[in-house]
This record gives sequence, structure tokens and C-alpha cells, in this order.
Amino acid sequence: MSTDLHTLSGAYALHALSSEEAEEFQKHLDACPACRQEVKELQQAAAQMGSSEAIRPPAHLKARVMAAADQMSQMPPRVSRSNVIEVPRGRWGARLLAAAAAVVVIVAGVVGIGVLQSEDEPSTRLASGVVEVFQAEDAHTATMDTANGGKISVATSPSLNQMAVDTDELPALDDKHVYQLWAIEDGAIASVGVLEPEKGAFMDMPGPETEVAITIEPAGGSQQPTTDPIMQVEPAAV
Amino acid sequence: MSPEPELRLVSSHEGADVDLLLQRVSRGDSKAFDALYDAVSSSVYGVARRVVRDPSRAEDVTQETFLEVWRKAARFDADKGRAKTWIMTIAHRRAVDAVRRSESQKRQDTYTAPDEVSHDEPADAVIEAEEHGAVRECLETLTDLQLESVRLAYFNGYTYGEVATLLEKPLPTIKTRMRDGLIRLRDCLEGAR
Repeated sequence: MSTDLHTLSGAYALHALSSEEAEEFQKHLDACPACRQEVKELQQAAAQMGSSEAIRPPAHLKARVMAAADQMSQMPPRVSRSNVIEVPRGRWGARLLAAAAAVVVIVAGVVGIGVLQSEDEPSTRLASGVVEVFQAEDAHTATMDTANGGKISVATSPSLNQMAVDTDELPALDDKHVYQLWAIEDGAIASVGVLEPEKGAFMDMPGPETEVAITIEPAGGSQQPTTDPIMQVEPAAV
Repeated sequence: MSPEPELRLVSSHEGADVDLLLQRVSRGDSKAFDALYDAVSSSVYGVARRVVRDPSRAEDVTQETFLEVWRKAARFDADKGRAKTWIMTIAHRRAVDAVRRSESQKRQDTYTAPDEVSHDEPADAVIEAEEHGAVRECLETLTDLQLESVRLAYFNGYTYGEVATLLEKPLPTIKTRMRDGLIRLRDCLEGAR
């Protein structure tokens, strides 16, 4: 981190940088959590300074603003930190196909799960493919809290080249909602599938830059996420 | 990933309402947008008036601000601050952009001494902000150079380079004073609550 850049936080919060400098500083912010916190606080102080000058706008302005908003579409929500949500294509599309194939495997595994469980793992209802990843010799595992008060465990295994999530400790949802799993890379986001929490999910190991996220969606799942993720993880970093 | 409870500077219930309203706006709720306008339009218009001066251009800035809020409500990131701060940051950026687009207009405004700048409010100002007193008191805790630097940038839309020229000080000094000044304002406002 450049100390020189860091001292620009005040000028940035006051919009006193040229657009080139502001852009450069924004890049710096992406890599500096402490600077982001400082900017957030300084922007708040600046905003309060602005609010202290409140003047009631002319009454006719409201109707004008409301009418204009009425004609204007809203941007969809963002799940990844990237700015753009695009339909996946190219290399990423190929990877998603792999992920989709993994979902098919889960479904297939689910069909036969009763048999498998009665044989070796009566204590768990997790899909056998999920258990396999968690029990791999070289498994890396991590457990994290989800934003809706549950827990989720993630396992990756280089030898199997697979990842799995244990979703058994997610809070139960009403029958109008489901948990949906997403893969995100470089602004592209794609559905991996709707989860059956008690069974978990597993799939081919995504690329190093890929993040996996879970959102709560209306029953049946969504084309694109419609809520903020309850958890988001970069499997390669587990 | 769990929602982190944190201490917020703005603790008034109005601030909390704005956060909830923006959430509803992000789902396309036009009634919530109507209420959001009522809640923050005076702040938005007020800062626009202070920066662009001209009432009809301040109206344009206010409209642009609310349309951007409407469009991007779903992109609002609560991790980056309160909804009201987000809206005021948009309003201020748009006001500053408007001023910079018409450099000539800005140059017509002769530079007023900082002492007067601080009382330079539009004649028809209706000050409604509850934070007005606290902000004014806190601004008094800044050094003269901090105050001049912060105000020239925030209310007159000057870049820090322009402020350095106006005040005949080295660039790094002005840069630092803006940061120090805002930090002092932040700390004072925090203590005032």
C-alpha cells in the first residue's frame, strides 16, 4: 500500500480528486480494507456536513422525479463483488457445464441414497458423494456461519478434484423458499442448482478464481439471484 | 459472512428508516420510493443548492440523484455505509460534476474569504436538519486550514489541486488537511451522539 495514496482518502470523500485520480484511488481501495473503512467513515462525516444544509425543495419537483422514475427500469441485484452480471460463456461456460453435470450426479446419488445409507453411514443423510469428499485423505474443510443464522461446512479434495458442501445445519425454510447454489467467476454468475439441505451438494472443483454462493430463492429456484447471499466462499482458498 | 452488528454514527431513527425504505425500493416498491423522497429530499436538494447555487440546476441534480438511487437501489452495499450516506454521496458527486462541467460559471463566482464562506447560505434557506447544530459546532473544532480546505472542496467543488492554488499551500499539505479535517469532524460528530 502506498502511504501517499492512502492520504487521499479525505480528498476522495470530498470528491476533490480528478476522475483519473479517483479511479486510481478506487483500485487502491479494492486492495485495502482499512482504507475502505476509513473512506466509509469520512464519507459519512461529509454526508452529515451536507445534510446540515438541508433546504426543502420546491413542491413541484417531487411529481417530476416520481414520473421520471416510473419510466425507468431498475438494475438487478448483484451477488458477486464484480460490477457486471453476464450470461456465462466461453471457458466459464464449459466449467459450468461440468458443474451442471455434477448436479445431475447429485440427483442420481439421491435416488440411491437409501441403499447407501443403510449399508455404511446410517448416522448421516448426506449424499454419499458429499461424504466421500469430506472423508478424503487430503480433504481441506472449513465451517462458517451463514447470514441467516445457520452453519455450513465446505470440503475440497485435490485428489478427487471435487468440492462438497454440508448444508445439514442450515435453518429450515418454509415451502415457498429454497436454497440455491451459485458459481461466480469474473462477473459471470450461474446457477449450480437448488439444494436439498439435508443431503448437501458436491461438484467438480471450480477454478481458482471462482466463488460459490448460496441464496434463498422462491420455490423452484431463480434464473439469477434475487437476494443477497447467506454465504459466499472461494473453494480454492478452503 | 454473518451480518455484523456495528456501531453507526447516525443513530437517529430517521437514518434507520432510510435503510429500510431503500431495501423496499430495491424491490421496485414505488410507495417506498415516495417515502424515501420525503425523508431525504431536503438534504439532497440542500447540498445541491450549496454546491451548484442555481436553484433550477439544483433541482436537476436532485432529480438525477433520485433516479440513480432508484436504478441502483439493488446495488446498494450496506457494508459500505448507511443508505443516507450513500444517497448523499451520490448527490454530492453529481453536484460537483455539474459545477465542473460548467467551469465558466464557477469562475464567475469570485472566491470568498473562508470566514464568509461558512455563512454563505442561500437566502431562502430553510434549515431543517437536526444535525445542523452538531455539524456547525464540530466544524469549529477544525483548524482554519483544515476548515478552509474541507469547505472549499465540499461546498465549492474545487479539486484539492485547486484548493492548494487558492490557498497558496503545497499539495501534500492540502491533501493531509482535508483528511485530518474530516477525521476531526468524524470524531467530534461521533462524540456528539
